Amino acid sequence: MYNYYNNHQNINYDGNDLRNINYQNDNLFNPYQGLIRGNLFKNIYKPYKNEKPYEIKPMNEQAKMLTDLDALEFAIIDLNLYLDVNPDDRKAIELFNQYRVENEELLKIYQNKFGPIFLNSDSLTNMPWMWDNRPWPWEN
Amino acid sequence: MWKYEKKLEYPINITKKDLKMAKSMLAQYGGPDSELSAALRYLNQRYTMPDERGFALLTDIGTEELAHWEMISTIIQQLMKGATIEEIKANGLEGYYSEHNKASFPVDANGVPFTTSYIEATANYRADLESDMAAEQRAKVTYENLMKQTNDPEVLAPLSFLRQREIVHYNRFRELRDYYLNKFKD
Repeated sequence: MYNYYNNHQNINYDGNDLRNINYQNDNLFNPYQGLIRGNLFKNIYKPYKNEKPYEIKPMNEQAKMLTDLDALEFAIIDLNLYLDVNPDDRKAIELFNQYRVENEELLKIYQNKFGPIFLNSDSLTNMPWMWDNRPWPWEN
Repeated sequence: MWKYEKKLEYPINITKKDLKMAKSMLAQYGGPDSELSAALRYLNQRYTMPDERGFALLTDIGTEELAHWEMISTIIQQLMKGATIEEIKANGLEGYYSEHNKASFPVDANGVPFTTSYIEATANYRADLESDMAAEQRAKVTYENLMKQTNDPEVLAPLSFLRQREIVHYNRFRELRDYYLNKFKD
């Protein structure tokens, strides 16, 4: 039987990684820096007046991990739109794949700890059914 | 088909009640250049794009707009949380409250109900994409008008994110338009 309790416990998760990692792409912000700007692409980034990006300050461990998931998923969304109109950019496709793998790994860790975000992801659900657990996204 | 992800695209945690701002935010929930308009506009236009690039981009941006619409209702719900009847009356929301109480409902900042006359679909890629580019510019300006109405960083942060997404979408639509102009020698 698939061991859905412990299968992902051996992945090392350090929330600081994402903020410091150098993706070695001079044209793009890293996922977290992209998320707080709303734009992964340096060449089209236009802040409002002299506005600085707003740092996200998570209140607890769950919110911190969720911010890292937000960052990775944001990078995936923004690369997705770019690739729709630039389908031959090999580097962008490689980066898309890399973020997809990282997102999936982190999503497994998060969901095993805090319950499901995406029911169709590669994590099996525990007893009891946790999909309805609070908070829902609009609750602060 | 669509599947729900139980999270916002960008985190929102507003702790200070502001009913005037909640009323203004309705502009992006049910107004002419709201996130609802954007989602319906692109998801209707995608079927008549000339090729797969257009199918993909309009599907994906249309989908992201639904996530933005969820962010707008989240902002409004949190700005209104705990509001008393007296506060609702003092901030011009009594008309809204009479019909909807604190439910989410797509009207604009003046209470005008959402209408599909805000959107277009012509089956002509150039007419549609250039209209979409203009719609993204108008939505960007709306976000700037909203940002001038608050000093609360908990509200400004998601508004800043959403404003920047309009810029990204504008650029992707423009790239697609230019690609088609070249492809079809228009």
